[in-house]
Amino acid sequence: MMDILCLEHLRKSFGDKAVIHDLSLAVPKGSVYGFLGPNGAGKTTTMKMILGLLKADAGTITVCGEPVRFGETKTNRHIGYLPDVPEFYGYMRAKEYLRLCGEIAGMSVQQISQKSSELLSLVGLSGNNQKIAGYSRGMKQRLGIAQALLNDPKLLICDEPTSALDPVGRKEILEILHRAREKTTVLFSTHILSDAERICDHVAVLNEGRVTLNGTLDELRKQHGQGRLLVEFSSQDDLDRCRQLPELTQSFIGAQIEGYTAILCVPDLPAAETALLSVLVRESILPNRLENQEPTLESLFMEAIR
Amino acid sequence: MNAFTAFFKKELSEAAHTHKLTVMGLVFLLFGMMNPLTAKVLPDILAGVMPDGITITLATPTALDSWAQFFKNVPQMGLIVMVLLYGGMLANELSRGTLTQLLTRGLPRKTVVLAKFSAASLVWTAAYALCFFVTYAYTVYFWPEGSTTGLPLAAFSLWVFGLMLLSTLLLGGVLFKNSYGCLLLTGGLVALLSLLNILPAMQAVNPMVLPSNGMALLSGTFPASGFVTPLLVTGAIIMSMLSGTIFLFNRKAL
Repeated sequence: MMDILCLEHLRKSFGDKAVIHDLSLAVPKGSVYGFLGPNGAGKTTTMKMILGLLKADAGTITVCGEPVRFGETKTNRHIGYLPDVPEFYGYMRAKEYLRLCGEIAGMSVQQISQKSSELLSLVGLSGNNQKIAGYSRGMKQRLGIAQALLNDPKLLICDEPTSALDPVGRKEILEILHRAREKTTVLFSTHILSDAERICDHVAVLNEGRVTLNGTLDELRKQHGQGRLLVEFSSQDDLDRCRQLPELTQSFIGAQIEGYTAILCVPDLPAAETALLSVLVRESILPNRLENQEPTLESLFMEAIR
Repeated sequence: MNAFTAFFKKELSEAAHTHKLTVMGLVFLLFGMMNPLTAKVLPDILAGVMPDGITITLATPTALDSWAQFFKNVPQMGLIVMVLLYGGMLANELSRGTLTQLLTRGLPRKTVVLAKFSAASLVWTAAYALCFFVTYAYTVYFWPEGSTTGLPLAAFSLWVFGLMLLSTLLLGGVLFKNSYGCLLLTGGLVALLSLLNILPAMQAVNPMVLPSNGMALLSGTFPASGFVTPLLVTGAIIMSMLSGTIFLFNRKAL
């Protein structure tokens, strides 16, 4: 798979404060790439460097194989960008704003009107004839996405598109991004892990200017953090019997036990689960609850930023 | 449609929507009417408020008095109104971030500067022309026989000075990112030029000749040739302000 965006050994400091240290990552074509990190990790700075709005101190950035230059970079024709808080001209209406954007991008009148109505219906603003000044934050984000998708970008960059929104607004934005992935690669930054978990297939965790975790969600779940198996027994007796079975002593090492509940840390979750179930059946021990706890993005994230 | 036309259109429609156009139009229309009227009725007003027993003798007003009002009101009040209205034209967009999406969409930064300058210049030109022609019409009506040699040059010079202030506001916008910075830079430039005017050597080249000596040209106490160098200097300043703004803007991190 071709990489649509490549960052190599990127560095950036503001004054004495180094914000990005030797950052390298590649965004494969067609992915929804979650760029995670706590506030102040350097996510916005990195995105601004990709767009040529900030100058990198060192390193290279390529978009669709072309190098990004600071200032007016030609690579931006491949990119649609939604800033963290998109600002608009309050006296305009959504259609007028998209027309301005289309004219600047050199689109024809016909293309603009066709694309605008298509995108406004995608973001749910098609019947809206209000001035932008009266928009809520969520509506502004939605118009921002329509704006970013206007020129059919190969790469859509969204800077914390959901952070300032209420749950309904967040859900809407995530759905729009999810639909956008059919046509474009999406890179979006967030510190809301459940959002990333919902729509991303790749994630990179940025912490203090370095990538500390990077890969597809499945890979990361497999590589990092063990699987956890929760068994809740119906009595202390069952628990004790189970612990003493020779097949299970290994699994119970390091297990967290609270009351009748044991959480087993196992390297291979499906194998451990099969083994446990067959032993339980053989011994006629019926647990109240058996739960397969996959490593969550949160646990991976907490590990990565430690 | 190219990016310049699109952004220029946006600037004009913004001027209309944010009432800049209305304010500029009304203020300059008002000045245009007041200039000749003040000249015409001032002696009557003064006579009316004088206490009994005191008489003052005032010369009968002429067309020159009307233009004296014009060359006093426009530089003093008109230009200030324009500078206040346009102080934030670039600075506000940069501090609010409204330009970010348009710039990443491929709008060249040079185009932003030139389109903003052109649109503001157009509004200034229209308002100034309105003021000029209203004053002109009343003046010709009240004093049909009055002669005003040098009027086109004097009026043109004041207009060019207005353009210089607009270009200074743009440089301020890219330097300071807020409208107070722009106003300070522009005010500072005018103050500096006025100070330099004290030096006799500077008087021949100083752009301050343009707004200040219009009346002297009309009354024949200042030669038309005295405007040439200041006009050239002002033209050069406008060019440098615009190129400086573009140069700095291209290197500015957003």
